[in-house]
Amino acid sequence: MTQDTIRQPTWRYFLRLAAYRPALYLSSGLVASVIFYLFPLLPGLVVREIFNRLSLEAPASNLNTLFLAIVGIAFARQVVLLFANLAENTLHEYINALLRHNLLKRILHHPAAKALPTSSSEAISRFRDDVEAIPAFLSWTIDPLGQAIVLIVGLSILVKINALVTLAVILPLLATFIIFNLAKRLIISSQKANQEAIGAVTNSLGEMFGAIQAVKAAGSETDIIDHFKGVNEKRRQASLRNILINRFLDSFSGNAANIGTGVLLLVSARALQVGTGTMKTFTVGDFTLFVSYLGWLTVVTTMFGNYLGKYRQTKVSLNRLLELVPDSPTDTLVKHHKVYLFGKFPPLPKMPERSAVPFQGLKVKGLTYQFEGTKAGIQDISLELKAGTLTVITGRVGAGKTTLVRTLFGLLPKTSGEIYWNDQLVEDPASFFTPPKTAYTPQVPRLFSESLRNNILMGQEKSPEALANAIHRAVLDEDLATLEQGLETTVGPRGAKLSGGQRQRSAAARMFVHEPDLLIFDDLSSALDINTEKVLWQRVFSQPVSTCLAVSHRKLALEKADNIIVLKEGKIVAQGKLEDLLKTSSEMQQLWEGEGLSETEASRN
Amino acid sequence: MNQYQDLLRSYVLPRWRTTSLLLFFLLFGTGLELLNPFIIARFIDAALNGESLRHLITLAALFLLLATVIQFASIAETYIASNLGLKATNDLRADLAHHCLSLDLSFHNSRSPGELIERVDGDVGKLSNFFSRFIVDLLGSGLLLIGVLIALYTIDWRVGGALTLFVLITLVVIHSMRNIGVPFFREASEARAKLFGFLEERLSGSEDIRPNGGIPYVLLRFFEHSRLKFRKYMKALLVGMALFSSSMILFAVGSALALGLGSYLYLKGLASLGIVFMIFRYTELLTRPIEIIGRQIQDLQEAGASVLRVREIIDTQTKVIDQGELHLPAKALGVAFDQVSFHYPDAKDQAPVLKDLSFTLEPGKKLGLLGRTGSGKTTLTRLLFRFYDPTEGSLYLNGSNLKSYRLDSVNSQVALVTQEVQLFHASLRNNLTLFKKSIADERLLEAIRKVGLWDWYSNLENGLDTWLEPNSSLSAGQAQLLSFVRVFLKDPGLIILDEASSRLDPATEQQLDTAINTLLQGRTAIIIAHHLKTVERVDEILILENGQCLEKGKRETLKHSDSHFSSLLKSGLDEALV
Repeated sequence: MTQDTIRQPTWRYFLRLAAYRPALYLSSGLVASVIFYLFPLLPGLVVREIFNRLSLEAPASNLNTLFLAIVGIAFARQVVLLFANLAENTLHEYINALLRHNLLKRILHHPAAKALPTSSSEAISRFRDDVEAIPAFLSWTIDPLGQAIVLIVGLSILVKINALVTLAVILPLLATFIIFNLAKRLIISSQKANQEAIGAVTNSLGEMFGAIQAVKAAGSETDIIDHFKGVNEKRRQASLRNILINRFLDSFSGNAANIGTGVLLLVSARALQVGTGTMKTFTVGDFTLFVSYLGWLTVVTTMFGNYLGKYRQTKVSLNRLLELVPDSPTDTLVKHHKVYLFGKFPPLPKMPERSAVPFQGLKVKGLTYQFEGTKAGIQDISLELKAGTLTVITGRVGAGKTTLVRTLFGLLPKTSGEIYWNDQLVEDPASFFTPPKTAYTPQVPRLFSESLRNNILMGQEKSPEALANAIHRAVLDEDLATLEQGLETTVGPRGAKLSGGQRQRSAAARMFVHEPDLLIFDDLSSALDINTEKVLWQRVFSQPVSTCLAVSHRKLALEKADNIIVLKEGKIVAQGKLEDLLKTSSEMQQLWEGEGLSETEASRN
Repeated sequence: MNQYQDLLRSYVLPRWRTTSLLLFFLLFGTGLELLNPFIIARFIDAALNGESLRHLITLAALFLLLATVIQFASIAETYIASNLGLKATNDLRADLAHHCLSLDLSFHNSRSPGELIERVDGDVGKLSNFFSRFIVDLLGSGLLLIGVLIALYTIDWRVGGALTLFVLITLVVIHSMRNIGVPFFREASEARAKLFGFLEERLSGSEDIRPNGGIPYVLLRFFEHSRLKFRKYMKALLVGMALFSSSMILFAVGSALALGLGSYLYLKGLASLGIVFMIFRYTELLTRPIEIIGRQIQDLQEAGASVLRVREIIDTQTKVIDQGELHLPAKALGVAFDQVSFHYPDAKDQAPVLKDLSFTLEPGKKLGLLGRTGSGKTTLTRLLFRFYDPTEGSLYLNGSNLKSYRLDSVNSQVALVTQEVQLFHASLRNNLTLFKKSIADERLLEAIRKVGLWDWYSNLENGLDTWLEPNSSLSAGQAQLLSFVRVFLKDPGLIILDEASSRLDPATEQQLDTAINTLLQGRTAIIIAHHLKTVERVDEILILENGQCLEKGKRETLKHSDSHFSSLLKSGLDEALV
């Protein structure tokens, strides 16, 4: 992940983003940059005129108009700035929303379990800071045009007044520009280190608050804060370095203006003395114009220098965003899509129609997945699953049960192997295995801080009967009755207001509500008491159309299974009905006895 | 203003040395800057009066020297100020995170980790500038303002008077606009925190969304959050712009005023052209401190919103008050519930989770806790940890009220194993010790051996320093085993096993059986189990229903009588026979 993940020139990404809202981009760009840069040249000319008239002892009556002009120019400038700002910030929000939309969509669509190269809370710092760096730079892309124009206009005004003095005072400006170019590596590395340090802080906080119960139970609040302080300190050092480097470079350009003024004093000393009255080659008014322009032109040059630095920093951010969308088409990140900042929200698309061909079976050939850098994973898994049957995957801790399910349904990208649905090759498991074909409940299901209804339906429209049926199948009806607001109860972050079992059964209802051809559940009953579990299994099977793939080591499931797949160290070691396996597979025997022992003892009593 | 003072007093005042140094550099730079226009004015007049070139060049050289010194002073100032801000915010961040950790679970159950990140990191970050610059800038700018005005008075009292009046009006205008922005910035920042809270939750649950067809819905909700943030932001921006624009226009009025006054004096023969220039430059110099004061006030508005939200957290007091003084002995602990009732703080209108529950458990005995999900089992154990305090009634440990013990003593003598094991992006060592440094490696290795993870451990290349990736490097079962290691390390007098072994496969579970037996030996235990097998190691049974005790007694006795427990055993047999 450390090398460049940028797969096309950076400017192409920006071109694509600029084309997203071209009118907004151009209007904000042209107004904000060109007019923004040119405006400050005006007061200098007025002040020069005032001083010239004073020194020439021309009639003072016209001066009032000039004073008013100064105020008028300032007013006009603010009006223009207001519009530029509104346009620019609207553009920013559009781009922010677009980038976040594309990232979110891609992460949700793709191997979920492996989508984030980092933790979700660390990813938030990318969704926040790195995303915001992109439009900030985008609206700067027209700036060089404004900067070039102001430099040309400003310098030609100065040259017209006195070419020699102009030449002398722009030398410090050139020096600034060169220094900025030399410092580019320094800027990019310090920026990257800073961003990483910030990410470490948010990540540390996320884990701390995510694990609050464990932290409290262990009584290690103080220790974990000590650890956090260490992460914080690293961030301080990185930030300080970053600030210092930027400030140091800034000071060069700040100095350039002052040194320019100093040079101006030196070279204009003689010119100011030569000639008198209208014959003067260099007036006090000219002098004030030079001082004023020197200030502004230096600011502009600094901005240009910053611009190069910013460009490199933006590349760092772009890279960090691209890391979130690995192995995807080049324009995934910047692909145009409506973001609905205005107008009506889109209607939710209907669930795809159930295929006319009824589900017959699923076949898997030589499926393999290996975790990066480890030997763990699954190897050469072949299995067949017929419609209307229950297949149970079982095995010891770490045998690869969850990995198999995740790989099969595209949550992890398979290293090799083929999957067939009704004898048709599934090209992209990730986009293929969705309702109404399949639905899935992971080992530790997550709910979201919304109402229970929204958690189950996820925005789909279902008849009240279908919803009630799903709730019934998931054995959630009794719990629902105890909740004051029933389906409208907000479940709290990650469903924290529900008990573990309620969370799991809500997730089951979410799966049942689509009435999919194939149900996949990873250890569905792990947080359920015996009675609830039994009812749940009964209700799962009571529907004749159900085809299930379950990870489980529960007796109830194993006995009901039409086919059991016994995994060991990522490979299938046995496959078949329970009674056969108990005779032939020693692994199955061990697994069975582990569970069985207790219940036989209980039955003896 | 009080809330700002508090924060400044706690986080900036202790660093008064750094703050004074910062002030020194600021004063130094300000003083030199006041000299600048004076030198140029002298130069113009000298040039116009035809003084010697040598004299002019000396003035130019002096100007250059001054410019260089000012630059270095400003670099030093930036360094010190940034460092001060970063250190102060780091302290605040750590304190705030610590405070959040100390709050009871009702606080955490209503806030997502993403939202807390935005508070502890985002909001505190915005205070950085406030800490490092606010007082210093305000003071520095004030001094520069006064310095410039004095300089103007020395030129001519009319100029000084007019510009003093101008400065006062400008400051009053800025001051009166001061608090207008706060609610807008606060709303904008809230919308932002909500957006990121939303994103964090969806990202961490991404595995649940696509396979259940939830993507379009999540994206729609994302659009709603984005739009809300956009609207709030644009409003805040407009308010901010209004403040900024009006000050810029006022400055232009100031410049015009200065030039007008200068011209008047010059035409009356009361001032040289150099002096006119000096008045003009000084007025321009005035704009910067006013601008800084204005900007600081704007920052203060943004910081104000952050301060309010930070204060809101600081002012949230845990309902679990740690006022006990007793220490729990390091031995098996007796447990007693005396007429305990409890309902969650945010669900007062609902039926209580526990109702008038009383029972005792002798030291060293094991209690099996049974009941449907939602019957109050988990809540009961949470009370033992003082994650919450009971609404009515009391809990007793080792014969004394639970509240009479120090909280850290309770935490060190009571252990909890939950089904969901929380792991950190950290080394294996830190994952086991939860960052406690006092635990020797030998003890860790011994505990790893005890839970039967030795084979796994010996395959790790970096041993205890192995970096754990919570989502990929461990299976749920292995994670569960690691949580047992944590308990072994703690060596507690009371263990609570909440559905502990439910996700382990039978073979692994059996492997762990011996370890658990060793662990439970000589300790009191409360075991929540849905599996009969787990129940077998207990002495007593308590069945909960709707927060009340349905049945309580010795396992052996209940087993052979016509009890709920014996019928449960039968349903367990049914399971085996289906």
